[in-house]
Amino acid sequence: MKFLTPDVIWNSLREVGSTVLFIIAGTVLLEVLAYFLWSPLGVFSQAVDQLLKPLGDRVRSLLAGLAVVAAVVLVVAMVSPGQEPSPLAPYWPVAAVLFLIGLFISPSATVIFGWRLRLPYMLLMPALVGLLLLVVYPLLWELNVSFTNLNPRHFKSPDFIGLKNYVEVFTKPVLKQVMFFPVFLRTILWTVINVVFHVSGGMALALLLNRKMRLRGLYRTLLIFPWAIPQPIACLAWRGEFHYEYGFVNIMLQRVGLEPIQWMSNPTWNFVAMCITNIWLGIPFMMVIILGGLQSIAGEYYEAAEIDGASAWQQFRHVTLPLLRPVLTPAVILGTVWTFTNFNVPFFINQNELETSDTLVTALFRSAFQYFNLGDAAAFAFVIFAILLAFSIVYIRVTGGLKGATE
Amino acid sequence: MSNVPSAKQRSAWERFFKSGRQDSPFKRILIHLALIISSIIAIYPVLRVVSVSLRPGDRLLSTSLALIPPDATLEAYRVVLFEKEFPVWVWNSIAITSATAVIGVVLAATSAYAFSRWRFPGRSPGLVFLLSTQMLPAPMMMVPIYILASKLGLTQTYRGLVIAYSVTSVPFSIWILKGYYDTIPRELEEAALIDGVSRLSAFWRIVLPLSTPALAIVFLFNFMAAWSDYLLARVMIASERPLWTWVLGVRDFQSQFQTQWGLFSASSILVMVPVVALFLYSSKWLISGLTLGSVKG
Amino acid sequence: MKKNVFTLLAALSVLAMILAACAKPTPETVVVTQVVTEREEVPVEVTRQVEVEVPVEATPEPVEIVLWTKEGEADGGLQYVQSLADAYTAIHPNVTFEIVNKDVETLREDFLTAGLAGSMPDLLWTVNDHAGPFTDAGLIMPVDDLFDLSQYVDAALAAAQLNGQTWGVPISNGNHLMLLYNKDLIETPPMDTDELVQMGQDLTTGDQYGLVYNQTEPFWLVPWLGGFGGAVFAEDGKTPTLNTQPMIDALQFLYDIKYTTPIVPAECDYDAADTLFKEGKAAMIINGDWSLGGYKDALGDKLGVARIPQVVGHEWPHPYTSGVYLMLPISLEGAKLEAVVDFVNFVTSANNQALMIAKLNRLPALKAALDDPLIANDPILKGSADQMVVGTPMPTVSEMRCNWDAMKPEMQAVLAGDKSPEDAAAAMQEAAETCIANLD
Repeated sequence: MKFLTPDVIWNSLREVGSTVLFIIAGTVLLEVLAYFLWSPLGVFSQAVDQLLKPLGDRVRSLLAGLAVVAAVVLVVAMVSPGQEPSPLAPYWPVAAVLFLIGLFISPSATVIFGWRLRLPYMLLMPALVGLLLLVVYPLLWELNVSFTNLNPRHFKSPDFIGLKNYVEVFTKPVLKQVMFFPVFLRTILWTVINVVFHVSGGMALALLLNRKMRLRGLYRTLLIFPWAIPQPIACLAWRGEFHYEYGFVNIMLQRVGLEPIQWMSNPTWNFVAMCITNIWLGIPFMMVIILGGLQSIAGEYYEAAEIDGASAWQQFRHVTLPLLRPVLTPAVILGTVWTFTNFNVPFFINQNELETSDTLVTALFRSAFQYFNLGDAAAFAFVIFAILLAFSIVYIRVTGGLKGATE
Repeated sequence: MSNVPSAKQRSAWERFFKSGRQDSPFKRILIHLALIISSIIAIYPVLRVVSVSLRPGDRLLSTSLALIPPDATLEAYRVVLFEKEFPVWVWNSIAITSATAVIGVVLAATSAYAFSRWRFPGRSPGLVFLLSTQMLPAPMMMVPIYILASKLGLTQTYRGLVIAYSVTSVPFSIWILKGYYDTIPRELEEAALIDGVSRLSAFWRIVLPLSTPALAIVFLFNFMAAWSDYLLARVMIASERPLWTWVLGVRDFQSQFQTQWGLFSASSILVMVPVVALFLYSSKWLISGLTLGSVKG
Repeated sequence: MKKNVFTLLAALSVLAMILAACAKPTPETVVVTQVVTEREEVPVEVTRQVEVEVPVEATPEPVEIVLWTKEGEADGGLQYVQSLADAYTAIHPNVTFEIVNKDVETLREDFLTAGLAGSMPDLLWTVNDHAGPFTDAGLIMPVDDLFDLSQYVDAALAAAQLNGQTWGVPISNGNHLMLLYNKDLIETPPMDTDELVQMGQDLTTGDQYGLVYNQTEPFWLVPWLGGFGGAVFAEDGKTPTLNTQPMIDALQFLYDIKYTTPIVPAECDYDAADTLFKEGKAAMIINGDWSLGGYKDALGDKLGVARIPQVVGHEWPHPYTSGVYLMLPISLEGAKLEAVVDFVNFVTSANNQALMIAKLNRLPALKAALDDPLIANDPILKGSADQMVVGTPMPTVSEMRCNWDAMKPEMQAVLAGDKSPEDAAAAMQEAAETCIANLD
């Protein structure tokens, strides 16, 4: 099996091919089912609607909401965190029935099952099923685990311990010695530094590139390079460059007569190394986005500004920036979220596992796997998730951005 | 504000901003200088990896800054290509990654169309949900995904991996594609509908061809994500060596304490080639395809 | 139009199912081909040695054993495991193997995850400290009743015992640190720490160092702690004793040889130490028995082995000794359990222990193999055995993990010049206690 013989090629093709067929078959089955069930369900929902009309929409929405919430709670309780199946597992039909009841009580049921919306729902169906399996199920599992003491000493049947894990995220060290807030502050610092450099660096390069000039294509190609390299490789390559004796950075420092830096064992410098690597990695994305934005700004704005006698800086400040805003807002949100949750860079660059340069996500990884305290780690994960969600909501509200994306 | 500048606007625009002739020679030199320096910074670390891969085995770590080391050798490449299972791993990665990228694009393209053209109950919560999946820390999902996969008998097969890759990149793809569809005027489809064409074929014949840049970007993103994934592959197929992807293989060159730097660099360069090629090939679409759903008239 | 769409979908689904049905049986075939091709690579000496003793017998029931090992490719460990498996398959064609190499840490994480999901491998080839978490989680079985443990060295067994039972069958005995030196640079190794510092300073010039070691892992701190008269645990084997004078002295010593009387590099992890020593740029290295094979290849006759120098006014440093063990997951039963037990006996048979001594330069765990002339005649193995004499068995309890994690950041802080040894020792103790309180 060591070499790439026709046999090997054929086998892996067959494996992948059968997987693709498996997915197609599943999708087709799903679609056929939806296609045929939609009209009867529509009729049924009409009947229910007639029956429940006297209740009024508000009461119906409330009841529907309650039923769905009850179904979700039941499902969360059913997802067994330990080795042994949960005693509630046989009751899954109850959850399903509850969910269906909720669906049909809701005043939207007749709209959902109307013929007009059959096509869009059918279009959504495959992705929805996939996301339910691979995103929603793991989330529910984590949610369940976050209320238990699942760890190697309580492996078979962990106990329900309420909110203890959540309280301990803030009151006990999340790692060996480091408490939650220092890590949190460092993560914010990490995010701010990176996003500021990404945006300003990307902006500078985009402005330079946004003109007719020789070699423009070549520059653009070369500048995109960091983005095109698989991240684990980029991180390991950079880690090599921060090597005390053989790394490029220290060799250069010594050639200009400075002292070499202990990039791996000094927490501050390690953090700087992480930032350098990530800034290098992240600028091309911003550059491309901003370049796209710049190209969509019509020249007449500048013309008008020039007639008014605006300087280059004033044009940038009063024409370019405001018009770039619809592009920048989602890019900044995504950039912030991706930097905040970036795993590869802080993980690979922090080779010595210094707790004092961990970010929240690498801290999460270590706390989950070093002790396998999955209960603690799950609560920790939800806290991180909540922080990001809160940030995004506030940012969207304040800037009014994302209208195009969520409307 | 108009998205497509008219001929007159464009000429004014180009005269003002795109023409280099107006810049003084000094300014032009400065701009080139800045871009050259930036380009060097962008590719230098990669060149260093190339340089390490060319070094003879007993001098992998050295303080020399020469990019082509004295007595450069292709020995590491020979070992990686002919003495290790590396070609098999790369082949596996190619098969898995291509399949997932195609499936991922199909899933996202259809769903994004639904989000773009219809208002239906669950639409806004759905979009917010898609956005919030971007905020889930990846390590958090691995244990439950593994448990689910082993309950469904999908571990140690490509099946589980292909499904997982195709689905995990769907939210971001939907986001990009929906944004792009939004910029395509509905009137185009409506005209076709009046001519008696079905909705699906209007989508197929009108919207999809117009969305090539965004589709290319989504394909590229899906490809990149699956190609360089380590966490999921480790969870799903690490126990079946013949099924390994290149990432698992390259990790194998770095055992607990020792890194076989020569093999690592050589194989890194080899796996970088297809992605970089794909990336540079599609870079002409990058700028127009990545609208992030916001550049609307 | 709608009808057309539907017919198309229906036709597609039928087609897809037929195709899917045709394309089903793949993974098994893949595995079989692999074993056939690899059997050709079995080192001749192994197959010959064993085939004489055990006649080939064909048992009908096929068994596939998934073996996770911590042995990597770099030092030949993985190849050795594979050769044993191939040899075994040659005798028992019904038993095939899937050998998977995982980093020590990854192996622990993945085995726990697999246990949670209920899909464990069939055999583990790993280090002793995994026994702690694995028994906590109830994922491995005691081996006392399955094997005749009296044939193994007591010290090796001790490092896998917990709660009165033994949780792994030892393959090798040792896994201990020792002092390795380059005979080109040093004629006789230093006997005590004063000599070490003196010789080290003479040898530290420009890009050459007197001593290198992995400055990031507390595994390299523990011998010195012992040398200054301390220990990681109190008598009960569970209470950490890290905030002690010996710990402060040990940290101070490591600080001194880096800053006050520098004989070690300013920043040095395992890779860097390893490379420096292999390239002849370091006169001495402190490293474990697992590295002997690699250094023999790199330095040949120039490689010397000695005890880590005695601490002046105190004792010889006590490196941790343990070994490499085979652990049996709880899920084993029936024919598979029988096959696994038989394979474990095969791995630790006298012949294969001799093979291990020759190939990996590790000390055997089987008493019978200790008398092997290889050990007495080989100066390197002799040196390794001599270091073993002053070693301490490494504790197996889960609390040990807390101690490692508590020591690591503090040791690094001292070596980065960020913390005084006194503060670091106090912080270690506190961290270890917090961690142990959290284990339940």
